Amino acid sequence: MKPKMLNLQRHFFVRAGSLLLLLLVLCLGLTTARADAVSDLASFSIFDKVDLAQLAKSDVKTTHGPPMSNPRFLAVQSCYVALGSSPAQQIEALRRWDATRHRELKVYLHSDLPSNPTPANFEKLTSAPGNASVRSFVAATQKLSPGLQISKEEAKKFSAAAGGGGGAMPAPIVAFWTDILTARTKSFVSSGMSGQPPYDHAGPSVRASDEVNGLLREQGKIRNQFSSFLGATGIGRGAGSLKPELYWELLDVDDQGVVTLGASYSRGGAGGSYQAADALYYASGGYYVALTLYQMWPVTVEGKPSTLVWRGDMISAASLSSLHGVERLASESVTMKNITKAVTLFRRDTSGGR
Amino acid sequence: MFAEENSGNWFQSVSHVPTEYILEDTYVGGGDVERGPNKSVRDFDENDSIVHLVFTPRTKLGVLRLGAEWERFSFGLPDHAALPDTLQSVSLVMGLDMQFSDSIIIRAEGQPGVYDTEFDNLGYDNFNLPFLIGGTYIYSPNLQLVLGVSVDIERKYPVIPVAGIRWKIASQWLLDAVLPTPRLQFEMSKDVSLYVGGNVKQTSYRVDDDFGNANGIPKLNHAILTYSEIRTGGGFDWKISPSVTFTGEVGYQPYRNFDFYRADVRYHQDGGAPYGMISLHGAF
Repeated sequence: MKPKMLNLQRHFFVRAGSLLLLLLVLCLGLTTARADAVSDLASFSIFDKVDLAQLAKSDVKTTHGPPMSNPRFLAVQSCYVALGSSPAQQIEALRRWDATRHRELKVYLHSDLPSNPTPANFEKLTSAPGNASVRSFVAATQKLSPGLQISKEEAKKFSAAAGGGGGAMPAPIVAFWTDILTARTKSFVSSGMSGQPPYDHAGPSVRASDEVNGLLREQGKIRNQFSSFLGATGIGRGAGSLKPELYWELLDVDDQGVVTLGASYSRGGAGGSYQAADALYYASGGYYVALTLYQMWPVTVEGKPSTLVWRGDMISAASLSSLHGVERLASESVTMKNITKAVTLFRRDTSGGR
Repeated sequence: MFAEENSGNWFQSVSHVPTEYILEDTYVGGGDVERGPNKSVRDFDENDSIVHLVFTPRTKLGVLRLGAEWERFSFGLPDHAALPDTLQSVSLVMGLDMQFSDSIIIRAEGQPGVYDTEFDNLGYDNFNLPFLIGGTYIYSPNLQLVLGVSVDIERKYPVIPVAGIRWKIASQWLLDAVLPTPRLQFEMSKDVSLYVGGNVKQTSYRVDDDFGNANGIPKLNHAILTYSEIRTGGGFDWKISPSVTFTGEVGYQPYRNFDFYRADVRYHQDGGAPYGMISLHGAF
């Protein structure tokens, strides 16, 4: 897109008269593309009036989504302009971005997974940092804490893994989680989120697919915007036609170590736009499910081909249901700050960063 | 920049109205106050009861706070003490918590109501509207700063600035140094926390028309009394269920002041007293 633009500018100076009509058509086309992106953004998101030029000069705009009837649910929306970067480049940058480089994001370990993982794909667990968060995770596992989000069947395997070991993550603990994560990844590949075992070892049964579908159901415009794309994924349903990029992470949620499984999808659309989704479809604690959706449109800002990015973060967590009034506002604020921080770091790390 | 038509129906999307409540009772043992060197009131106890119910529906502007509160102080005073044996208030709670950005939350809240003694001779000047405006700056998930003002035109000092800090020092330790109930809290388990802290109370009430005559000080008829007390102690919060927390607290009351400041009649603390408090509170 960028070379084409430069060529047209050069031709304008050389053959201004004969290309005037073409330029007018081009300008109209660019204006239309920009207007389409902004109106498309307004049609399903909370960002009603976006001035692209102003947005391109500012930090990411983040705000909470509309309240939802399920107290476990929380949604935050953000938008920004990635200057000088196409949607395809943004998707690629998202793929390459390594959150573990930023300690403040508290992602301790990240590893990509093949579609048929083996225990060897989780061997990084043995190098987990010996911090309080990981110690808390290990202690919760050793006690088979009611806060652990596993199924009854998975809990039964724990007796064989209990006891022994030393270090940040004792070998039996590593083996226990490796077994769970391997099986759950395989289940996701074959059956999508709907094939995931429930969280029911110490409480009412909670299914990640029900949670993500509930999140989308309560945000009808977003669900409609992404329905075709999500229908081709394993998010909230059986395995889709799109191939996911799989990964696992060890991260911190409220001072507690959490192992989580994720799947990322992306798909190009008309006019160079892209949709992407990143689902954390399993977590050992902290949250039931987290889903991040991206809509990216090619736009031209300050003469540069750029990308207007909308990002929707939605989460279902048991801990949210106990928050009311100002506590919930504060929780939303903290979530918004964390998302702002992550987006700002991503933009700084990538060529589109400011 | 943010859509109105795209933001959903902020009332209808919430299936029930979130509610917070407090039922609290405090007993303070025998304490003393004195007025100058020769006039004192000795060994009187106190009972402080609070019922607080506030609905907190979410609106586009923020979280509304609409409800009511009743508080009653009862003092076991000896005969002929020039102090009212009851101070009580019934007020509405009307407020709004607003999210100004991802870092700032503002609260504006007023408590219009009747602040009196026995509620037996109410007039328009028994009405008062104390209010507060404050902001919380969320520096990080572990550190928040609070700044605000409390306004009560019937109080000796009508405007009192307030500052505080809420700092999660470690995973189990929380310093919640925000008035009126600053605390240092230790989370023993998911459901039980221990704490040490204080409780600062200051409210103005209007006494009866003949209160002064009955006590030999005519200038106290229909006078404004600002009652203040500070409690310091330790206690526990036990989360019985997601919507019910039981709190028990014991400690010592080192400060108490009955101040008819406009009449220049003041009874100040001469001897502290132990106290015990129980409370059921929560939100659903």
